[in-house]
Amino acid sequence: MDYLGKYKSAVAARSTSAEVLRCSQDGGIVTSMFLYALEEGIIDGAIVAGQGEKPWQPKPIVATTPEEILSSRGTRYNVCPNMSVLKESVRKYGLDKVGIVGTPCQIQALRKAQLYPVGLRDVCDKIALAMGIFCMENFSYQSMTQIVQDHCNVDLHSLKKTDIGKGKYWAYTNRGAVSQIPLKLTHKYEQPGCHVCLDYVANLADISTGSVGSPDGWSTVFIRNNNGENIWNKAVAAGIFETKPIESVKPGLELVTKLATEKITKNQKELEHRATFGVNKGLRNPYI
Amino acid sequence: MSKVVEVSPTTRHEGHSKLVLKVNDAGIIERGDWLSITPVRGIEKLCVGKTMHQAPKISSRVCGICPIAHTLAGIGAMEASVGCEIPQDAYLLRTILQCANRLHSHALHNILTLPDMYIPGTDTKINPFTPEEPVRTVAKRLQRLREVGQTVGEIAGGEAIHPSNPRVGGMYYNISPQAKQKIFDLAKEALPLAIAQMEFMIAVLKNWENRGTVTVGKTEVEIPAKFGYHDQGYMAVDPVFDSSSLDFEPKWDPDRWTDVSPYNWFQGEMEVSLEDADYPVGGTTKAGTKTWPQMQACTSVPLYDGQPVEVGPRARLVQFKNYDRKGAMGLQIARQLEYPDCLYTMMEALDALDCNGSVLADEIPQGDGSLGWNANEAPRGCDVHLARVKDGKVQEYTLLVPTTWNFPTCSRALEGAPWQLAEVIMRAYDPCVSCATHMLVVDESKKIVAQKLVQ
Repeated sequence: MDYLGKYKSAVAARSTSAEVLRCSQDGGIVTSMFLYALEEGIIDGAIVAGQGEKPWQPKPIVATTPEEILSSRGTRYNVCPNMSVLKESVRKYGLDKVGIVGTPCQIQALRKAQLYPVGLRDVCDKIALAMGIFCMENFSYQSMTQIVQDHCNVDLHSLKKTDIGKGKYWAYTNRGAVSQIPLKLTHKYEQPGCHVCLDYVANLADISTGSVGSPDGWSTVFIRNNNGENIWNKAVAAGIFETKPIESVKPGLELVTKLATEKITKNQKELEHRATFGVNKGLRNPYI
Repeated sequence: MSKVVEVSPTTRHEGHSKLVLKVNDAGIIERGDWLSITPVRGIEKLCVGKTMHQAPKISSRVCGICPIAHTLAGIGAMEASVGCEIPQDAYLLRTILQCANRLHSHALHNILTLPDMYIPGTDTKINPFTPEEPVRTVAKRLQRLREVGQTVGEIAGGEAIHPSNPRVGGMYYNISPQAKQKIFDLAKEALPLAIAQMEFMIAVLKNWENRGTVTVGKTEVEIPAKFGYHDQGYMAVDPVFDSSSLDFEPKWDPDRWTDVSPYNWFQGEMEVSLEDADYPVGGTTKAGTKTWPQMQACTSVPLYDGQPVEVGPRARLVQFKNYDRKGAMGLQIARQLEYPDCLYTMMEALDALDCNGSVLADEIPQGDGSLGWNANEAPRGCDVHLARVKDGKVQEYTLLVPTTWNFPTCSRALEGAPWQLAEVIMRAYDPCVSCATHMLVVDESKKIVAQKLVQ
């Protein structure tokens, strides 16, 4: 099994813009890339996770200005149905070149929409840049509320940043306090649908990025296809990113591979289990 | 002695219909019946009891060429019944959608018309599929015009086929300034193409009319002087968009409308006595076949002031611009003349559109069962929907669709033409037979006529 998917190159990178980094989750890769692509006319708008109605609840938006893109920085650990505005982006927004960011499953949805456009007329040829983000699992909004407010004992309104790393769930407050709980406690809150996911590093994106493998403040980036490579090279040449060879950073691809292997192996088992879930019958497997 | 010839099915129009023609010894039509033989889907019946939001989305599926007409007329009828005034910007978006649909529909009909026509000055019929010039340029221009129409429809209406944006009370969303600019750019691009296409079509149509004779299959037939003339009236409510019972001065009157069953209108049982195996392609119905238009017709016959009327591009031009060209080619030419207005109106509506304006009425009443109607000027003519809504549910829903109006009128227009050219007259009406056949036909005793067929 190819745990990291197909890619042309992998680097550790971060944005050179202090403004982007001020509120970004890691290296500010997605935000900087969309800002650059918007400025250069590579995209004329991007589907991003904007601010929802409740604190720390994301809402998919079609961002057509740098301000809107900047306002979507940071990870929100709960569901944001980005694909729900995919068609809208080429309808009411009249976009011709759509940028889109998503977790592995969302990028899968995008690629499926492009190859099998059921009810998605005139969408498939308008995708200009698909940015994927690494994803181990996701939570419902209620799950996240429970984890942050009850387990971490932090009010959502004073939450500044959440992070999953080093086996822990971290909650940072605006006033400088830090809470952490072992990830073991969060398992029961995971979305059940994440347990059959066989993709960790957004294998189907043009460019995928995430925190694992690189130091804090930096991101691991996979440049996966010609389109991604073309745009990435231009952005680097324009001084949008600083990069380091992935081999030179710790813990590097070794850890990414380890986590990807863990995720896929565990979920593969779940899929096998579902085949024999009942007595003489099983549950559906979308992969067959 | 007159003979009966039947062309079934007819081609190069939407849906499933046939021509049953009584002709004299010279092959000239004495009495013609053009009728729908499309299975009845019964949209009006199945919408009863559904919500007022759902019914127009169902009636949109009556037809995929002019779904905009049915969506907007259906929604308009619901709004008229409940008494809901929509905001200005929603109205403008609907106008843009309407124009986009008319642009694409007329361009599509050009493709269906052209194979009857000749390259002016030659004896070569036009094959829109040929890679050769000058036809190739025309085909590409038509495709671009349709592309523009459908793209604008997608932006303003949410979807080019079965628009998702219109809703009872206005629209689901307004469009972004960027989208507005995109529509404007597309309209600017399409305008010279549309004018060129209009001029080309008119030249081709006039050339056909002046030819004297044309070839159908292996037969050379003469074009009569009054080709496709009829003495029925015209009915239209607006040059471009619509009229509804909410208007200060409604342009349509439900009291002038009556409905009769095809049983009272079409010919009785006959036997086909003339056949032509060379009629392109595949010949006509075999001699000896029984045919019974009054039982087989799948539409009702709507009358205005007790008479069938013509609706469509010519009716609009007659009503609002004193157009006076008669006959099948007169109707075709009227259709081409509508090309530029689609784009001018679209641009005017865009100019007036405020992208930040509200597109949904603040209050949407649920209705008390009063009758409301909306007449939309579909590409093929006046599409009237009548509805009664009570507590948000549809109590009664009636669709009077352009081609339904045109069926009996066109049947009259067939008289005096050689039967080989009957389809050319029929095509001039740009028939949409699925549109026409959406209903259950009931006779005076409210008995479903279709049941007669079953018995």
